[in-house]
Amino acid sequence: MSIRRETAGGEPTLEGALAERGLVVRVEPRAGLAVLIADEATVARLGDTELRRTALALAREHGFTHVAIELRTR
Amino acid sequence: MHANDDAQAAEKEVLLIQWLRGAARVAIGYSGGVDSAYLAVVARNTLGMHHVLAVIGRSASYPAEQWAAARQVAESFGILVAEVDTDELNDPKYAANPSNRCYFCKSELWSRLVPFASRFGFQTVVDGTNADDLGDYRPGAQAAREQGIRSPLADCGFTKSQIRHRSRLLGIPTWSQPSSPCLSSRLPYGTRVTTERLALIEETERAIRRLGIVDDLRVRYHDDLARVELSCDELAHWLVPERFARLRDVVIAAGFPRMALDLRGFRSGSLNVLHGVGAA
Repeated sequence: MSIRRETAGGEPTLEGALAERGLVVRVEPRAGLAVLIADEATVARLGDTELRRTALALAREHGFTHVAIELRTR
Repeated sequence: MHANDDAQAAEKEVLLIQWLRGAARVAIGYSGGVDSAYLAVVARNTLGMHHVLAVIGRSASYPAEQWAAARQVAESFGILVAEVDTDELNDPKYAANPSNRCYFCKSELWSRLVPFASRFGFQTVVDGTNADDLGDYRPGAQAAREQGIRSPLADCGFTKSQIRHRSRLLGIPTWSQPSSPCLSSRLPYGTRVTTERLALIEETERAIRRLGIVDDLRVRYHDDLARVELSCDELAHWLVPERFARLRDVVIAAGFPRMALDLRGFRSGSLNVLHGVGAA
C-alpha cells in the first residue's frame, strides 16, 4: 500500500514521505525544526543509523534544518 | 596525535612561554574551559603565582558546575583566582538575544575585568581564544579587540586539539572536557534571555548528566519543548523506548513540559542555523 500525504496545494509532506518508508509519525513543524511525534516502535526503529539518515535527508528535502523525535504519550 | 603534530604542539608551547615572559604579568579571562585552563596553568608555571591572576566573570549564563570545576583546577595548580560579577542579562541589547549577542556579553565582561585587573597591577589581559576560533563567527572577539584583550594561544597558532594534547601532558583535567559555551547559546536567536530560562536549561542538563551522560550534551530551548542533543554514540543508546521514556521523564521533572531528542545529535553552534523557532 502506498501512503501519500499532501498539502492542500498538492505538495507531498514530510509526514507522507516518512510514512512511505514505514515511519508513521505526526510532524509538528516549528519553523526550521520538525518535531516527529512517534510511538515506541518508531522510536526503536530510528535507533538504526541508516534509517535515521534517511529521515534526516527527507526532512532536509522538505526544508527543515533540524529534526527531533518525541515519544507520543499513551 | 601523530608524532609530527606532537612536536608542533610542543614548539607552540615554547612560543607561548616566550610570549608570556614578554608580558611579565597577565590577568586571564578564566572560565575553566579547556583553553583558559591550559593558558592559566602555563602562565602560572612560567611567571609564578603572583604574576598571574585568573578572573572569572560570574552571571546566570555561567553554569555552576563549570564554576566549581574552574575553581578546582586553579586550586590544584596554585593559580590565584578573582571573581567579578557581570550583569549582561540586564542589558536589553543582550537580553533580546540577537545573533551578535556574544558581543554584548563580552563587552560587559571586559569592561568590568580590565579595570579590575588594572587595580591589581595587571596591565596585560588575555583570553583563551585559539587558532580554530578565528575561523568561526564570533562577535565576542570584536568586543575583546575593542578593549585591548590579547589572545596568546591564537597568536602562537594553537589549535584546540593541540591544547587538549598539551593539557593532558601537563595533567590538567580539562584536557578531555567537552566544550562548554555559555547557557544562553541554548536559546535560538530572537528568544529572550532570562534568568529563569537559563536556570531551567542548567537544571535540565544537570538532571540529564545524572543519568550518566558525560559526552557533549545540549538542551536547546524551544518554549515548551526541550530539544536534547547528545553525541552520536549516546544517541543510539537512548533511542530505545524504555531509555527514551526515562530521559523524557527526567527532562519533564526538571521543568520542561515536553522533550524531543535531536536525530542528528550534538552540533556545536546548532542554533546558528535555526532562527525564529522560539517565541521572544
